[in-house]
This record gives sequence, C-alpha cells and structure tokens, in this order.
Amino acid sequence: MPGDEGTAFELEMPAKAKYVGLARLLAGSIARRMRFTEESIDDLKIAISEMCTNAIVHTENGKEGKAQILVRYLAGDGFLTIEVRDEGPGFDTEQVLGRESNDLLGKGFGIPLIRSLVDVFECESHPQGGTYVSVTKFLDGESMES
Amino acid sequence: MDNVEREGAELDIILESIGGYSLIGLSGEVDVYSAPKLRETIKDLVDKGAYNIIVDLEKVAFLDSTGLGVLVGGLKRVKHHDGELGIICGQEKILRIFRITGLTKVFPIYASRDEVLARAEEA
Repeated sequence: MPGDEGTAFELEMPAKAKYVGLARLLAGSIARRMRFTEESIDDLKIAISEMCTNAIVHTENGKEGKAQILVRYLAGDGFLTIEVRDEGPGFDTEQVLGRESNDLLGKGFGIPLIRSLVDVFECESHPQGGTYVSVTKFLDGESMES
Repeated sequence: MDNVEREGAELDIILESIGGYSLIGLSGEVDVYSAPKLRETIKDLVDKGAYNIIVDLEKVAFLDSTGLGVLVGGLKRVKHHDGELGIICGQEKILRIFRITGLTKVFPIYASRDEVLARAEEA
C-alpha cells in the first residue's frame, strides 16, 4: 500500500468462525492506539470481520481441519492496512466484485459494505490459488470527515 | 487459555412479547460465529406460528453482513406468512450499516420499545 512500511503484526489462525472475533479485537486495538475515531474503528472492525468471514467461507470453514488464514496488520504513518489471505479455491474477481444487485433482499452485502467503509480496497483471487484482500483506512480521512 | 469456546463472539438472546409481537432481545455481537444462533431462534418462532417479530438490537455491540443476512432471511420467512419483522435500534453505529446496505427501506425500524408499543396501540 502506501510507501511507508510501518509496523506489521501478523495473526495466523484456523479458518474457523469462532476466531473472527480475535481478528476483529486486534484490529480495534491497533486502530485505537493509532487514534482513529470510534466511527473509523467500527468501520475497520466490520471490514476485518467481512474479510475473515469471506476467507472462512472460501476455505469451507476449515472443514479440512488444517485450513489457516493469515491476517496482517500494517500500522503506518497515518494509515492502517489490513490484509487477509486464504488458501481456498479462489474465485473470478471480475465476476464477483463487478456484481451489482438491485435486489435489496439478495445476498452479498459484504463486499459493498467493505468498500463503503474503507479508503482503499484491493482483492486478488486465482482459481485454486487462494485469495488476498486488503483494505486501508487513512487517518487523514478523520480530519476530512470532521 | 482456560476456555477456547469463549473466543467466539458471545450473543445472548432473550424472548419476550411486546404489543402483539414476539420480541427477540439480543445482547452481544452478531457475526459469522454467533449468527446461526439468531437464525435458529427466528426459524423456531416462525415454525411455532409467530409471524410478527421484532428484533431488539439496542444491546448489540457489533453487527456485520452475516447478521444482516440472517435478519433478511427472517424477513423472507415471515413475509411468506404475511407477517412482519421489525428492528428496534437507536444506535447510530448499527443504523449506519442498515443505511449503507439500503435495508432501512426494507425493515420497519423503531427507535425504542415504546415506539413499538405506540405503533401497536395505533393499529
């Protein structure tokens, strides 16, 4: 993401639903130490929750027993980037990310929600090659919002 | 770690009745781990013939799209029986999620239990 490498933290965890709360807790703690506003902290907690949930779904909730997902938090000068990698079967990003639904009761709130809550959203996925999703929130956005 | 199971999001559910509605009071976090508990609660109520349901989110500290999906699923279930699924929520951080996803147009949203009662008295 941005040029400054910052301070990185990594959490490697089983692709199980019960661990999503841990990834969320860590995101909230780092963002709070960086002095993000409570609203931005909530945004980041939702984003990480959505990213981990997607990763768990892609790896079929760790049914194989060994599936892991890797969460990386990069606290830089004025930004927080959170990356989630899974080793699931991957998907066609153009098809999934380009999908827009006018059906409010249809599935798929996750990606639009992430996009609306963060400043930068990136996703790479390859069939049989896993998925990488990254979000960044800038502290600058705080002053712009206020 | 003394209790691994506690690593998951905790969600407490209390069932009550209010103004002719079945009320599901939630307390805690609704995510991919805890949402199935809510899904089952709604399903059980509908299976027992309760088609007018209110879900109270006032004590919910966190809600993501998995939680929204469960509420939408519940709405579809009660609509199938000409019922209604409403939300009680005065918390801006939760309401914002409904607004972003456009779901404020789909769910009746009440600011408080008193508002539900007032609406029930009007009906």
